[in-house]
Amino acid sequence: MKFSADWLNEYLKKPLKPEKMDELLTMHAFEVESIEKFGEDFVLDIKVLPNRAHDCMSHIGIAKELAAISSNTFVPSKISVNEDKDVKAKSLISVDVWAKDLCPRYSMRVVSNIKIGPSPKWMQERLQACGLRPISNIVDITNYVMLETGQPLHAFDVEKVGGRKIIVRRANEGEQITTLEGKSYKLSSQNLVIADEKVAIGIAGIKGGEGPEIDEKTKIVAVESANFEPTNIRRTSKAFNLRTDASIRFENGLDPELTSKALLRAALLMVEFADGRVASGLIDVYPNKVKPRKIFADVEWIQGLLGLSVKPQEMMNILKRLYISAKTIKKGKKIFIEAVPPTSRLDLQAQEDLAEEIVRVLGYDKIPVTVPSGILISAVKEDSLIYEDKIKDILAGAGWSEAQNYSFISDADIKAFEINNQVEIKNPFSQDQKYLRPTLIVNLLKNVKENLKYFNSVRLFEIGRSFAMVKEEPMELHNKIAAVISNKDIKKPAEGLFELKGLIHILLEKLGINDVWFDDELSVDSTTMPLWLRFTHPVGRAQIKSGQDQIGWIGEIKPKILSTMEIKEKVSVFELDFPEVSRIASEERAYQPPSRYQAMTRDLAVIVGEMTKIEEVLNIIEAAGGPLLQDTDIFDIYEGLTDGKKSLAFRLTYQSDEKNLTDEEVNKIQEKIIIALEEKGWEVRK
Amino acid sequence: MTIEEIKKKFKEDLEKVSDKKMLEDLRVRYLGRNGELNMILREIREMPEQERAQIGRYVNEFKNEINELIKTAEDRLVEAISNFSKEWLDVTAPGMSLPRGHLHPRTIVLHKVEEIFQSLGFSVIDSAELETDYYNFQALNYPKDHPARDMQDTFYVTDEFLMRSQTSPNQVRYMEKHNPPLRIIAPGKVYRRDASDATHESQFFQVEGLMVDKHISIGHFKAVITEFFKRLYSKEVKIRLRPSYFPFTEPSFEPDISCTFCDGQGCRICKNTGWLEMAGAGMVHPFVFKSAGYNAYEWQGFAFGFGLDRLVMMKYKINDIRLLNFGDLRFLKQF
Repeated sequence: MKFSADWLNEYLKKPLKPEKMDELLTMHAFEVESIEKFGEDFVLDIKVLPNRAHDCMSHIGIAKELAAISSNTFVPSKISVNEDKDVKAKSLISVDVWAKDLCPRYSMRVVSNIKIGPSPKWMQERLQACGLRPISNIVDITNYVMLETGQPLHAFDVEKVGGRKIIVRRANEGEQITTLEGKSYKLSSQNLVIADEKVAIGIAGIKGGEGPEIDEKTKIVAVESANFEPTNIRRTSKAFNLRTDASIRFENGLDPELTSKALLRAALLMVEFADGRVASGLIDVYPNKVKPRKIFADVEWIQGLLGLSVKPQEMMNILKRLYISAKTIKKGKKIFIEAVPPTSRLDLQAQEDLAEEIVRVLGYDKIPVTVPSGILISAVKEDSLIYEDKIKDILAGAGWSEAQNYSFISDADIKAFEINNQVEIKNPFSQDQKYLRPTLIVNLLKNVKENLKYFNSVRLFEIGRSFAMVKEEPMELHNKIAAVISNKDIKKPAEGLFELKGLIHILLEKLGINDVWFDDELSVDSTTMPLWLRFTHPVGRAQIKSGQDQIGWIGEIKPKILSTMEIKEKVSVFELDFPEVSRIASEERAYQPPSRYQAMTRDLAVIVGEMTKIEEVLNIIEAAGGPLLQDTDIFDIYEGLTDGKKSLAFRLTYQSDEKNLTDEEVNKIQEKIIIALEEKGWEVRK
Repeated sequence: MTIEEIKKKFKEDLEKVSDKKMLEDLRVRYLGRNGELNMILREIREMPEQERAQIGRYVNEFKNEINELIKTAEDRLVEAISNFSKEWLDVTAPGMSLPRGHLHPRTIVLHKVEEIFQSLGFSVIDSAELETDYYNFQALNYPKDHPARDMQDTFYVTDEFLMRSQTSPNQVRYMEKHNPPLRIIAPGKVYRRDASDATHESQFFQVEGLMVDKHISIGHFKAVITEFFKRLYSKEVKIRLRPSYFPFTEPSFEPDISCTFCDGQGCRICKNTGWLEMAGAGMVHPFVFKSAGYNAYEWQGFAFGFGLDRLVMMKYKINDIRLLNFGDLRFLKQF
């Protein structure tokens, strides 16, 4: 909020320079965002904190703060007024509050004999300094008093109030109101209105309506100074997206005691600057007068919390500077302070609040640095985070770079990836961020697209959360580990896919997971189809399994999606389920000494059908080979044979841990393998 | 053969040697167990003592000479094989291009942050991003429809579920399951319904900290946060606390550190104030202890939260926060 330095100084015995105000407020109360020259005056933009909006969105509030923190004296403005004994306010207008729960106090003063005209120049300048536009003496005075005291006021032309009666009530369902700006709103019983006998003439605490507004002919003015229930004002203001100087103040709560004080001040100014005569009597519907509350504060507790041994007397001196009356009470060895804050300090409720007042007035710089002692607690990092670090290191070490993408995706993404389990944001800020990602792949593909503009190959990974609707409930899915690869200079088809398989082996082996395999026997049922099957190529994809558990999937992205995204290269991806991986990961391993005996190798070529899986051939060789067949390496795949055949060349390594194997022993096993292969109907070339 | 003859023969044979194998054969022929020289030594056993000593000395000298000659011949052969003069290698040619992986700069800075806090006794905990209104707000003393909620415009998924706008829900979540004394940090992604520009993002990283014990003071907070920044920047930093407001701390304050770019002299980065705003902090509000099921006035603690992204941007002089939320290799490969 904007404050005039001149205006603030009006309430200070010793005037302060704007820079000094800045320094004092920043270190003891609120941040000053800027100081700007305004004519002869300076304007301070002060970031009043929400817990003090009820009393510090006013020049008096800030001036009291300045006085308290600079040991200055606060000088209140004059608020005595001579009432016109011949005219009674109540005879000019009456007030009825129906919705007492939403309106704890409704006060009104009536000023007659008004002469509408411009407000004095100094007032106009102060309003302008604070960002308000001068309108007329009456309207300006209501605004001026609001900026001075924090109490929003509203002025009615009494002669235009239907039945000369003000009713504070809930709106009727569907009731219409047109505000002073000419905007119409449809109201409900959730909204509080100020009405005359027939119609609503204002949205309570937010905006005045058409009808009894002040104009150049206005003679009798009724000034409303009310206290409204903050939550209701806030809801209405949010619902109508209508935030005003009044609504901001009301939604933060105000001191009900303030209404009558602000009215006196406004009446005085109307006498002075609009030739008004103040009708006698305050119209005041105030069924439950607020009582000041007592706070008991344990002196020792406060000293301990602050880490500063402030003496009780010093605490009391500080509280008194803030208009908090205080006395000490001894109970045994303990000393308590009994404090009674003024009703204007809605925020002071308990001893911790007093602790804050004491420390901020003293200054946080007074607190000495104290190294914590106490029992040693061993600091541990959660296992999941340790594995996350480890996985990131392995993937980066293998040549993949770490992306960290938005958790959001757009309508276009939903459509392209055929996503149907997305979590929707109720109040999105932009079209790009309407949903939460159910997979990390979507945004990683966007990374691939951008990067291919500058690089021939892209290798990225990401570890992060994804989200999905599960049984119609939004759920945060487990952390995922995803990697992508796209390469412009590939030498073999599906090279990227196999590079990723290699990466999975590196990752899982280093995590102590050795039984990983790729299952391509997928049941593609369109009703229960997992998301990844919707965007991967039907030919190049598999589940990643460890034993019988699925821990992830791997695949090439469907050409259709690539073309929608305008990616010209093939892209392969995998996504691993982080908790599954970390669950089966093991740090345990036992060292196997290398055999001291000679290894022997034999080569073998098998001619199989094009569609025969290498894994199947390998399984037969390994089963027949037994424990002495130590390693089976495929070193050549030749697919150019006639009759739709391909040739697979293996190098078999035989070794024993107990002795040197003889040629005869090895030949015997080799023969067994060949027989097993031939039994499958495959031709073996030795 | 006389020794002289053997000598002459050896030199002739040595001339003909052209590879290592021939040289080895030559050595065996002359110096081997059944070599020419041993034959002579065997013969001289029959000779009179005086003559024997003389010839023996002579043969030994000859043996040394042969050894020398063989060694020289060997060196000559090795050099001939490698043929330095013909071969040429440009060692300045670039090395093979192997794939390089890079960690995200956030990960790098977070490691450092976690390491420092762990050394100060703080455990590091993991947490969820999809939160309930209760933990994100109500348990932290933000009632429904409270204006303080405006400080963080929040993405809602349902009336009940939201994308956490701060890492602070972990305070109550952790304390519900653990008894004091405790020291934790909880790093993670948070979300704000905010327009993106170079310094604001709808998604960013925060690090939450919490220390609770019987007697914890603002002085302790000062000690911990000063030590943290000192270690993070590897230099002395000054710290100041400014009053602030958060519903879940009382008193609330914001620690500023002396500008690490100008050492507090005033520069463009600290807007000539000499100070950098780093975090929000305060003493845990008794309301929060109550939410966690603790006895409100039996415990004291401090809590803080700071933006990790700001540390990353300052450390690497990154001028646009949006670079952190994408996988641009032109950016990533610099870390």
